Amino acid sequence: MTSAECAKLAVQFQLGQGCLDLDVRFVLREPWTVLFGPSGSGKTTLLRTIAGFVKPATGRIVAFDESVLLDCAAKTSTPSYERPVRTATQGARLFPHMNLRRNVRLGTRWHSKPADTEQLVDEVLQLFELATMSERMPHELSGGEAQKATVARAVAAAATNRERTILLLDEPFSGLDLRVRDELLVRLRDWLAVRKIPVLSVTHDVAEAFQLGAEVIKIADGKVVAQGPVEVVLAEERKRLLAQLGGANPA
Amino acid sequence: MWTRGPLRDAYWASRGAAAGRIHLEAMDTQALWLTLRLALTTTALLLVIALPVAWWIASGTGAVRALLQAVVALPLVLPPTVLGFYLLVALGPLTAPGRLIIRLLGHPLAFSFEGLVVGSVLYSLPFAVQPLVAGFRAVDRSYLESAAGLGLRPAGVFMSIVLPLSKNSILASAILTFTHTVGEFGVVLMLGGNIPGATRTLSIALYDQVQDFNYAAANRTALLLLAVSIAALLLIYGQAGERDSNSLGVR
Repeated sequence: MTSAECAKLAVQFQLGQGCLDLDVRFVLREPWTVLFGPSGSGKTTLLRTIAGFVKPATGRIVAFDESVLLDCAAKTSTPSYERPVRTATQGARLFPHMNLRRNVRLGTRWHSKPADTEQLVDEVLQLFELATMSERMPHELSGGEAQKATVARAVAAAATNRERTILLLDEPFSGLDLRVRDELLVRLRDWLAVRKIPVLSVTHDVAEAFQLGAEVIKIADGKVVAQGPVEVVLAEERKRLLAQLGGANPA
Repeated sequence: MWTRGPLRDAYWASRGAAAGRIHLEAMDTQALWLTLRLALTTTALLLVIALPVAWWIASGTGAVRALLQAVVALPLVLPPTVLGFYLLVALGPLTAPGRLIIRLLGHPLAFSFEGLVVGSVLYSLPFAVQPLVAGFRAVDRSYLESAAGLGLRPAGVFMSIVLPLSKNSILASAILTFTHTVGEFGVVLMLGGNIPGATRTLSIALYDQVQDFNYAAANRTALLLLAVSIAALLLIYGQAGERDSNSLGVR
């Protein structure tokens, strides 16, 4: 992976919400960055803050060195729909009154020319291996299919946006069959790299982070504790996982 | 039936007057069309007014929302004659808005079909707004966030997500408004008087028929109003049953 010249996203903010205190500062430079941490460490809240659904007390978020999403000191906050980010929220969240194809197309309608979008929607459906079921309604899909479609919808929205856009994915592959996941995430990573769409994804799955070969930001108790290549940041987790797998092997 | 007395004589006298009966039946039809025209106009106008008002109440907070809710609910607790009286005064030559309307239209709004429409819109407002508020509140907030995360503006979220997911409530709102307008009496009598073809609705005609001891005609009118009400309620509850079993199409 090569470092790009500009920072894709510079994040710094403090937020107290219920029993969670977030105090984070990091810069995204790689094409795909994984936010890694245990449940309850504030990963989802962090993504929602970048997307504009949560307002922190203090902080500043800047995309591509120029687009200020949030500046608490200057009292500016760009509304979520105007931020150059597209989000797939956690879990399968398809709109129940639209078939799969219309779900995936929804985010492409607003910031692009209609003629370009149909072909792209087809391409994204194929990328996620959903093309054969594109006319089905959400309740006719399996959990895994609906999960993939939720991610596909955000991918299509990001790929058709006229502005440079960052893709935020909250546990995009959780609940997927491991073989399906491994194939899909490599295919998706390459597809997005060609289109120069940077990704910040959330996971608590060590194998997923290694599979992506991504930059990892490790977060614990609302703070960034490490950032760097996956082999370095998650070395300890990898060792533990391998030991568990070895231990589980019957002699 | 009665065997003797002035009531019975009057009853049979009115039944026996063939010419009078034909005349009354003609007026029935006129009252029926007028009532339908009033109810349809009121329903169409109220849907346009109630959709944004209900959305504001459902998604808003604070004192303004409470005030708006109170104003909208006022016709539920206010005697219709009170509303009719205030409208009669407000739309007449005693007030500045009333004088303006008279100058613009060339005639006062009171004792005209247009005046009845104004009165009906106000009187049926809670019946249009309340089902919509309940429907809008039932839409899962995470769908709205998902849509905003795809770059949809608030108007787009409302049109593409909120309205289709609330279609049963919109239908209930329209049916309740229609039937409530069909059955309104006090406001019509105060504001419209009893002018055949202009302000004489079915419920006023029924009152008149009873006053004239024309029980046969009154029976027909009452039966018609009863049938409209039962049909409307069946439509609403039929829809509700479908919604329960279908649960918005989500499994």
